[in-house]
Amino acid sequence: MTKDSSPQRAALEDALIVVRCQLGERAAFDQLIKRWQTPLWRYARNLTGSKHAADDVAQEVWLRVLRGIARLRDGAGLRAWLFGIARNILMDRLRQQYAWPVSDEADFDSLAAADEGWAEHEIELAALQTALAALPLRENEVLTLFYLQELTLEQIAALLGIPSGTVKSRLFRARKMLRQQLDQQGVLS
Amino acid sequence: MKSTAYSHPDMPSDLSALTARELSLKARLAVVLLLLVSAGMTVALSSLLLTESALPLRTMIAFAVMIVIGLSWVGFALWLLSTRRVLLAADAVIASRMALCFCSLFFVGALALSLGTGKAAGFGAAVVGLVMTAAAALMLRRANRKHAALLARRAELERLLQGSAA
Repeated sequence: MTKDSSPQRAALEDALIVVRCQLGERAAFDQLIKRWQTPLWRYARNLTGSKHAADDVAQEVWLRVLRGIARLRDGAGLRAWLFGIARNILMDRLRQQYAWPVSDEADFDSLAAADEGWAEHEIELAALQTALAALPLRENEVLTLFYLQELTLEQIAALLGIPSGTVKSRLFRARKMLRQQLDQQGVLS
Repeated sequence: MKSTAYSHPDMPSDLSALTARELSLKARLAVVLLLLVSAGMTVALSSLLLTESALPLRTMIAFAVMIVIGLSWVGFALWLLSTRRVLLAADAVIASRMALCFCSLFFVGALALSLGTGKAAGFGAAVVGLVMTAAAALMLRRANRKHAALLARRAELERLLQGSAA
C-alpha cells in the first residue's frame, strides 16, 4: 500500500483488486498478496510474538482468502475481511494452545548494526516491540489494529464484535499501559 | 506509531506455490468433470434399476451399490466446488459450458438409445438428461451475467481511480 493513498482511494484500489480476483485474473492475486502480506504478517507477529507462528498464520489466512474471495460482496471492506480472517485463525490457535505465547524475542540482528544512529532507532523499536508484546491480548490487539493497521474505531468494533465505546476505552487503557511499559524500560525520557 | 516498527518479512516463496495450487484451473475443471461423470453414471444406473424389472437380485444390489458410490462422488464434488475449488467468474463460465455440452450429449445419447431400443430405461435417462441440460443452461446464463457484472464493475472502478488520480 502506498503511504500517500487517501483512505477513499485505498478502498477503491482494494475493491478493484477484489473484482479482478473474482473475475479470475491470476495477476490480481499476486497483487493482493503483495499488498497485504506485510500488514497481515506484522499483525500476526505482534499478537503471537513469533516469526514462525506469523508465517503459519499468514499461510492459513491466504488459503482461506483464496477459497473465500469469490463470495466477498463488498471489495471496499477487504481490509476488515482480511484481518477478520487473521483474527479468527489467531483465536483458534490460542484456544488450541490454551496459553498466550510469551514473546521474549528481541531483534538482536538489528542491534548488531554498525551505524549508531540506526542501532539506536532499532533499540527503541525493539523496546516498543517488547512493550507491546508484554501487554494483555486485548490491549495489544486494539493498539495493533488502530495504529499499525489503521483501521477505524467502527471497523475495529465490527471486527471484535464489541461497541465502539468499548474500543475507545480499551485504546485509552492500552496507551496508558504501553506508556508505563516504556517508562519501565527507560525508553521515554 | 509507525508501521515500520517491525522487520519487513520477505514474501514467502511457498505463497507462490500455494496460489498456483489453489487457483489451478485444471484442478477446478477436473472436479467439474468428476461431478458431471458421476451424475451421468448415477442417472444411467438409476434408470436401469428402476425400469428393468427382470434383473437378477445380485445385479440389482450391485447397481444399488454403484448408485450410492456415484451419489457419494457427486456429493464430494459439490463439496469441493463450494469449499476448496470455488469457481471464479471466468472458471464458472467454462464449467457451465462444459456442463451444458455434457448434459446435452447425455440427453441426446439417452434419447437415441431409447428410440432405438424402445427400452424404458432410455426414456427415463433422457428425461433426467433433459432436466440436467436445462439446469446447465440456467447455470451458464447465471455465470455469464455474473461475469458481465464483474467486468462492468471493474471498468467502473478503473474509471473512478483514473478520475481520482487526475
